[in-house]
Parts: sequence; C-alpha cells; structure tokens
Amino acid sequence: MKLRIAHLYPDLLNLYGDIGNITTLTKRCEWRNIEVQTDSIYGNEKISFTDYDLVFLGGGSDREQLLVRDKLMSMKKELTAYVEDGGVLAAVCGGYQLLGSYYKLENETIEGLEILNIQTEIGSTRLISDVVIENEKFGTIVGFENHGGRTYINDHTPLGKVLYGNGNNGTDGFEGVMYKNVIATYLHGSLLPKNPKLSDHIIKLMLEQRGLPTDLSPLDDTIENNAHKYIVDRFLGTKKQ
Amino acid sequence: MRKIIAVWAAKLASALSKLLGKNGSTIPGTVALKICPDILSRMSKDIDKGIIAVWGTNGKTTTNNMIYTVLKEQGYNIVCNAVGSNMLSGVVSAFVSYSTLSGKVKADYACLEMDEAYARIILQYLTPNKIVITNLFRDQMDRYGEIDTTISYIQKALEKAPDATLILNGDDPLTASLGKEHKNTLYYGITENLGLNLNETREGRYCRFCGTELKYDFYQYGQLGKYRCDKCGFKRPIPQYDGKNITSDDYVSFDVSGTHVDLPCKGIYNIYNALGAFALSDSCGIEKQKIAEGLHNYKGQSGRMEEFTIGGKLVVFNLAKNPAGFNQSIGNIISEKRTKDVIIGINDNDADGNDVSWLWDVDFEKLCDPSITSYTASGIRAKDMGVRFKYSGVDEKKLTVGGDMKQDIINAVKGKGERVYIVINYTLLFSTKKILKELEEEL
Repeated sequence: MKLRIAHLYPDLLNLYGDIGNITTLTKRCEWRNIEVQTDSIYGNEKISFTDYDLVFLGGGSDREQLLVRDKLMSMKKELTAYVEDGGVLAAVCGGYQLLGSYYKLENETIEGLEILNIQTEIGSTRLISDVVIENEKFGTIVGFENHGGRTYINDHTPLGKVLYGNGNNGTDGFEGVMYKNVIATYLHGSLLPKNPKLSDHIIKLMLEQRGLPTDLSPLDDTIENNAHKYIVDRFLGTKKQ
Repeated sequence: MRKIIAVWAAKLASALSKLLGKNGSTIPGTVALKICPDILSRMSKDIDKGIIAVWGTNGKTTTNNMIYTVLKEQGYNIVCNAVGSNMLSGVVSAFVSYSTLSGKVKADYACLEMDEAYARIILQYLTPNKIVITNLFRDQMDRYGEIDTTISYIQKALEKAPDATLILNGDDPLTASLGKEHKNTLYYGITENLGLNLNETREGRYCRFCGTELKYDFYQYGQLGKYRCDKCGFKRPIPQYDGKNITSDDYVSFDVSGTHVDLPCKGIYNIYNALGAFALSDSCGIEKQKIAEGLHNYKGQSGRMEEFTIGGKLVVFNLAKNPAGFNQSIGNIISEKRTKDVIIGINDNDADGNDVSWLWDVDFEKLCDPSITSYTASGIRAKDMGVRFKYSGVDEKKLTVGGDMKQDIINAVKGKGERVYIVINYTLLFSTKKILKELEEEL
C-alpha cells in the first residue's frame, strides 16, 4: 500500500513553508508504516489526477500565482471531476484563491478554476496575523495568515470560526472552506505540523478514497500538541481551552 | 538651533541608555527625529567624499563593515552604523554619535547599511553616491509581504538616487535585474563553478522581465549562479569584479582584478561580501593592494561565527535571519567533523518577523548526522522549532524542547559533544551573547 501525493508546482507555489505540510503528512504516514510517494509536478506536465490520493496546492506571489493559474486552466475539467468524485485536495493561500470564480485586483480580474463558489477581491491592506480558529470536529486549529485578498465563501462550510486573527476577509468571522474532500485555507505556518488532528483527518480521507482501512495507530503528539497549545494560550489566554 | 537641541538630547539619551545597560542603538536617533525631523538631510550635507549605502537580504552588515575597515585604514573619517541598526532611527543615531555638540559632522564618508524596506524612507533625507546590493532572499515575509514587494521598495528607493553608482551581485538574478534600468552599474560575481551542490530554497527562478523559467548552467548557492532567460535574453552579466582561484579549506581566499585577497573568515558567502566591498572600494579610487590588506584586517561582527570558551568547551555562536542564512549555518555545523551539541533559537519579535513558517524552508534534515549528540530548540518559538526538529527526522531521544536560553546552553555545554554550536535569529543576538559572556566567567 502506497499513498500518492501530487505537489503542484512547488517551484512556483512554496511561499510560506508550504513544504512543511507535505513533510508532516509523509512523516505521520511513515511512522505508521504507510508508504507515501510525493511527485512534484513542474512546468507543462499533464497531470492524471486520478493517479493521486492527494493534490496539494500551495501559495505563491501574485506573479507566480498567475503562471500557475494559466497551467491549471488547461486542466480545469479534469481537476473539477477529481474534486466532484471525492478526490482529496488541500489548498493554501494563493492555491485557495485560485479555486474560486475570480480574484479581483485593482485593475484586472483574474478568472479562477470555479471549483468552489467563492470570490476574492484585493483589499487595501494585507491581513497578517497569527490565527486561531475553531472547527467542530478538530477543535482549535492554529496557523498564520498573510494575504491581501478578501475571500467571500457564500454558502460553503468554513474550515472554522475565527477566534483570533482575520480569516477569509476580516469581517464575517470565518476561515477557509471545507467542500467534499477539499480543505482550503489561508493558514500556513505551516498548517499541518501543529495541527496533528487535521493532518490525520487528511490521511484518513486519502486512505478512504483508496478503499483502505482508515483506523490509524496512535502517535505520541506531545511535541506537536505543546506547540499548538502555546499558540492558543498566547493569543486566547489560558481560559478558553 | 533645532538641530543642536536635537543633537544634545540624542547624545543625552545615548548616555542614559548606556548607563542603564541597554543596547539602545536606535534610541538617540528616535529622540533626535522627534525634535528635528529633517536632521538627517542637514547632517548628511557635511559628508565630504561620498555616502555609501549597502542593501540586500544577507551580508549587509559584513559587507558594510568590510568597506568601513578598508576606508578607515586609508585614514578617512567615517560615519558608520556598524551595529546593524539599519532603519531610519539607526542611521540618524550613527550621525548623531559622530557629530560635535554643535551638530557638525566632520566625516569623509558615510557607510550605511539600510533595511530594504526602509531605504526608500532614508533616501528622502540623503542621496547615496554609491549603492551596493548583496542579494535578495526571502526574509521576514510578514513584514514585506513577499519578495516582489521588497523589490518594488528597492526600485522606489533607486528612483531617488538616479545618479548613484550601483554595485550589484550579478550572480543573483533578482539583484542583477535591478541594474537593467540604471545607468551606472558595476557587477561582481564568481564565474567559476564552486560545486557546492546545496539543495535549498531558490528564490528568483523566474525571469523578472518575462516570467519564463531561468536556465542555469550551475548554482553557487540559493538562486545565485550562472543563469539566462532563453525568451527575453536577460542573463547573468559578465562581472567587472570576478572572484577567481577560490580556496575555502579553512579561511577563504580568492583573486579579483589581479589582486590576491585572504579573508580572516570562513564561508563561501563571505567571498561575495568581500567582492562587493572590493568593487566599492575600487570605485572610490583606493589602491587594489590596500583594499586586499583592509579586507584581510576585517574583524568579524557580533554573532557571526563568534567563539566562546565555556567550561573548557568551545562554543560557536552564529546569527542567521532567514532560510538562506540558516542553511549556511547548517553547512558550517556539518563541515565540522568533531562531535557537537546543537542549539537552535527562534524568536518571533517584529525584528525577526512574526511568522515562523520559513522554518520549514530550512534544510534542518541535514542535521541528521551522527556527529551531533543533542538537539535543543530554544527562544520564544522553541516549541515550533521542536516540531521542526522532530519532523526533520532527528533522533527524538536526543531532542529537547527548551526555551530558557541560559539553561539550554548550560545543558549543552555539559553534553557529550566536543563542541557546542548555537544558531539564533536576530532578537536573540544580544541576550544570548550576554549569557555566553556570563557563562564564560561562571563556568
């Protein structure tokens, strides 16, 4: 049994330590004797999404994001089908924005992949902060955000409610999107190392999509949980545990 | 009159903060600016021969101090912000500390390292005659947004100094691209392939002019190397100052413009710093042999591979501020064959960058080496660093998540290794150094 991850354009989309998310998934599988193979997808390769158990899309600078968008637009149909069939997709920051219908900048509007019914508009300032959000299933999720865009998610289920920081747009109190097996978020930091429950959730989704048993042997997450708790305590105070 | 009051107040503030034992290298400047906002434009007019600015992500302090050493040995009087205080208040502090009580600055040169984001503000008050740009890496992203923002800040600053001579590291495509629109530009670089083969973050792999992926014949480190854009023709410029015959067995040496230079320091990146300093000094008309002597006499800066002896053990202390800097420090640790205990200290204050996600871009995996007898994570973000260590695959039995730097150092000194290596980021510099000095006495 071998899980396969497609890391899309790591040369273009690796702005905020995104590689840490792949490292985390890989290690947490290795520690459970689950083999993982990560293929870094570059340039103009055509991707067969169905060969993968997870597609990972990171964040990039505006210029690099535009290059990625052009590449992905040519595979829009295939990626949409992958998501609609329950394929697991994790998207961070710029990758998150690309999944929506558009990203409206000052002078131009960049069309997105329309996989999610979300819209992003550039704001006057960048939203930069440590973030703590709450998800019904995983409890608190911690991370760091740094984005100029304000994303509006309409009827989508958010990844969580903002307890500290700005989230999608700084106004409606939500962060990220969960749709089918898509997890899209502004949080980096990297996201997964300090959120082991979310990491294991993604691993389970990958196993499930492959029709494999999803019971994961427990790991000692003391170091991860301490780092997680430090952020929660520092920004929310010790009471809100 | 206002200027004189500002100078007096600033000098008083400086004396007071020293009395209180603070490393308040920006306090006098802050005070002076409050009283006389345009003090810098007034004081910088007194500079006789030229104002030199050094910008760039890494190597600013070293390059600036190398230039300072060379010029100083020629007998010049120089205003220099040698302590690495490189925003507006730090630059003003440097001028204030050099001025007479009547506010006169009797100096031939000013050697000023400037923060990339603040250069455009500092240049509202003074115009450099020469600007060295060392390299552009990812640094403190939560402050700058992203590398493109940094470049746009630098371009804004350059618009204010259209006549300045630009001295650029031509091996870095991001830095070299800045020379394209500037009329007086000199380049330095290393044409021979150093064959370092480091696997690390590469920042500007795409042509800044047309977005095409750059083709590389080879990389030196980071995105530095021999590159070209096949689409628009942008390519590594042929450097006027080309480092040749490079040796780095222990201390590094090289030839440039027919002159041999022996540096008193280690690390390939110091060749780039020295080449920048050489090019600048040469453009100031200093004799080449004198430049080589000056560079040889350069004394390393605080926190750059500084050595301490604690309890009979050698402790090597190094400052790194971003992934490229950390990768270089890791290279130094691994090249040491003796056994050692390693401490990595990470703070997340404003001057460090509040976002520590870059830890995942650093090649800590390379520290999985049997010569390392223990790993300790320290600093405000010790717990983040602990997670990073764990996922880099180091032996968890050797891993401690600490946070109290003094205790962490004491434990490491008592460890099994023959040496101790400490790598920290910016705001841990002064506090850790103080602890190291104390421990030198105590243990």
